[in-house]
Amino acid sequence: MRPMPIGESMTSAELNAVTCGRKFGRIGRRDVLALLAGAAAWTSPSHAQRLAIPVIGYLCPESPGLFASRLKAFHEGLGEIGFFEGRNVAIDYQWADGQYKRLPALAADLVARNVDVIVAPGGAPVALAAKAATASKTIVFEMGGDPVQLGVVDSLPRPGANITGVSSLSVEVSPKRLEMMHELLPTAAKLAVAANPTSPTVNSQLEKLRSAAEILGVGLEVLMASTENEFEAVFAAVTKEAAGGLVFTSDPYFAFRSGQLAALAQRYGVPAITQSRDFPISGGLMSYGGDFVQSHRRAGIYAGRVLKGERPSDLPVQLVTKVELIINLKAAKSLGLEFSPSLVSGADEVME
Amino acid sequence: MEVRQGFRSLFQKYLLVLFMAVATPLAINAVIEAWFGYRDQRARLDQLLGVQATSAAAEIHDFIYGITNDLGWLVQLPWNDEPDERRRTDALRLFRQAPAIVTLTLLDHRSLERLYISRIGLNRIDSRTDRSFDPAVIGARAARTWFGDVTYNRGSEPHLTIAIFGNRPSVGTVIAEVNLKLIWDVISAIKVGKTGFAFVLDRPGRLIAHPDISLVLRGAEEATSRPFQAIRDAIGSAGSTTGRDINGRDVAAAAAPVAGPDWTVVVQQPLSEAFGPIYSALKRTAAILAIGTVIAGLLAYALAHRMTEPIRRLEEGTERIRAGFFDHRITIETGDELQRLANSFNRMAADLSLAQAHQERIARLRRFLAPQVADLVDRTGDDSVLEGRRTEVVVVFCDLRGFTSFSAGVAPEDVMTVLSEYYEALGRIITQFAATLISFTGDGLMVLVNAPVPVEEPALRAVELAVEMQRSVQELIAGWRSRGYRVGFGVGLASGSATVGRIGYESRFDYTAIGSVVNLAARLCASAADREILMDAEVAEGVGGRRSLTGLGNRQIKGYDEAVPVFGISFDTP
Repeated sequence: MRPMPIGESMTSAELNAVTCGRKFGRIGRRDVLALLAGAAAWTSPSHAQRLAIPVIGYLCPESPGLFASRLKAFHEGLGEIGFFEGRNVAIDYQWADGQYKRLPALAADLVARNVDVIVAPGGAPVALAAKAATASKTIVFEMGGDPVQLGVVDSLPRPGANITGVSSLSVEVSPKRLEMMHELLPTAAKLAVAANPTSPTVNSQLEKLRSAAEILGVGLEVLMASTENEFEAVFAAVTKEAAGGLVFTSDPYFAFRSGQLAALAQRYGVPAITQSRDFPISGGLMSYGGDFVQSHRRAGIYAGRVLKGERPSDLPVQLVTKVELIINLKAAKSLGLEFSPSLVSGADEVME
Repeated sequence: MEVRQGFRSLFQKYLLVLFMAVATPLAINAVIEAWFGYRDQRARLDQLLGVQATSAAAEIHDFIYGITNDLGWLVQLPWNDEPDERRRTDALRLFRQAPAIVTLTLLDHRSLERLYISRIGLNRIDSRTDRSFDPAVIGARAARTWFGDVTYNRGSEPHLTIAIFGNRPSVGTVIAEVNLKLIWDVISAIKVGKTGFAFVLDRPGRLIAHPDISLVLRGAEEATSRPFQAIRDAIGSAGSTTGRDINGRDVAAAAAPVAGPDWTVVVQQPLSEAFGPIYSALKRTAAILAIGTVIAGLLAYALAHRMTEPIRRLEEGTERIRAGFFDHRITIETGDELQRLANSFNRMAADLSLAQAHQERIARLRRFLAPQVADLVDRTGDDSVLEGRRTEVVVVFCDLRGFTSFSAGVAPEDVMTVLSEYYEALGRIITQFAATLISFTGDGLMVLVNAPVPVEEPALRAVELAVEMQRSVQELIAGWRSRGYRVGFGVGLASGSATVGRIGYESRFDYTAIGSVVNLAARLCASAADREILMDAEVAEGVGGRRSLTGLGNRQIKGYDEAVPVFGISFDTP
């Protein structure tokens, strides 16, 4: 039986209790905590054992509903290492519910709660918020951008002292999306690009897209949107500017709102491509991006390995090699478009 | 005590010898078995690891071969100058089929780039860049299939460039960049035993594939690859080795080459697992040895006990006999020489017991029988001669005259000297004539002739006995007189029927005669003067005319109503 120092790992149930008691103020909470911990340690050994299980701080940019499929993949990865929530690991969730500005505060809160590892999935803003919050606690990120370029890690094989993670290639392949849209609409002189001005990767993506457009010989119309309310304006602008199609830059905010975007694309009759497979599944035209199931599963594996005692500096950043193209033939038909044979044969999934 | 010094018991000797006799061959056998078992297992393990390395190499080769085979389809048809949409479709289809391929480049018969497709970057169609000086193209032209060196994309993911030149120049060349990270699917599926695994090194010894992908992603670093190189180098041409792996565990490892890209596949298994059968065999042998030793010990103890226990009993037996317990017997049922020895011992004890009984009897008989009579009685083997019965006997009494007054007048030592001289003389004569001494009291003596053992001419013998007594005693008396002692000696004999036999209690037995003849003999002795031998008529009759007897007329004898005829005999005095 190990007496627990103040503020060390606790079950999520107790943490929830603590969360509820936050309004009583910091000092009061700590006292209550110490009392709780002490009482638990003295009263029953089973309690003490439960207190000893590690806690993952899960910093999530969205709400539980939007994140369910990612979370499932994360749990799969944890399970591969032998950790199962509620049995031998507890997870302390922090939901930003789409308000990315809240991320730094939530990250700081997780650091204060002394979790064993912070998992920062769902994009560069989350990873950057976690990194800013602590220089000592281990962070496992999951994002679409290049973590070296974003300054999250020092290098891919040697990420740094306390941070490592997984990167899908979604941000990297933004020009590929433009290329595919161009292949689908070879006659269109102008294509629209939707970007999120708050995204840390927005400038690099737009730069790459501009040079790609130059190579492809197509004009670009850049449209900005950082909240759900601005989505409709983007689609309206595509029609207004007479752009042939709409290419979404890689951005988690967009990715998590694929259903909304698909509905708008259908409503406005705009051929669009995004990074997430959720888009064509919800009736959008096509998607090209990293496989989020793989990236979240690997983030789970890394979190598990860190809990097993491996140092994050020994865990190189993993790139998800699989980039998938999903096309929706039904959506193409309703838009009066037809995919070229090369696009169809290159597609990983074709929705009839 | 000195004998006990350095004395080692037979039990200990037997125990040691018997134990060694069983345990030594057992131990030798165990050691030999363990040694050969170890060698056999070791050889089998090397063989097994070698086979597993070869099979792992075959799987890695299949991975590469699968990709080259797929690439081969892209260099089948001859090129012309027109853009070729079908090739693009084929290439994209291959992309989907072979996820490890990152980029594909198709060159036409003049080595101009006609198609470049990438999963990440933008595609290039008909750029017609001259690639004829690309080492991949030169290599493929020379060897048809060319493998580049492994490169690490951004220092992390290992990539391999493969170039394939078609079977005729007009079909051109295909160059593919392959992400080797995907070998992980193959390498992680290879299991060596329970916890063993395989890894792949390229020619310079950098890690290309390992079940732990994070090691591969650092494969470009010398520090990461060095331990793996060390294992590969240790294996060398020997085929297998044992050593330490990256986690410091002792492992057994074997290697096999991958044909084509010139890589090495190494399989390794923890020694604890690989040698598991060896260890369990050794444990088994040790257990058998331990059990065998215990059994040998018990067996040796039992045998030693069985051999020494009879000896101990024999020793104890001799001690008992020495202490005089002749009835002690030893029971040994071993059915061998020791039993024979015990039986012989028992016979000896019985004989000793008999001999002792004989000795005791002789001693007893000798108290009242002449030695020769005693021997005779003893020889007959039974004491029936001593039983009470009525028989004809001659009773002889004799005593010293004036002894009482003499003994009152001189010192006790002188009395005893006189008596001992007196009895010494008489005893010799009694023995000489084989007469039976019944009793002696003070100076008086009673002797029996013809009982318990009958003799010839008892009367004559008794008379000769009496004469001899008188002569001897008179000689003594002559000596005593010179010392001033005034004593005389008289003898009386009577013959007749009397009851004779043993009387007494426990070990105190005497032989005696009861009857009037005894009284008569005693009275005659009492009435005999010094130098006189008086006998009754019956004795005189028994002697017949062989000795000159003198009739002394009838004498009034106390206890007899009538006077009794008495005879005397003269003897030569010295």
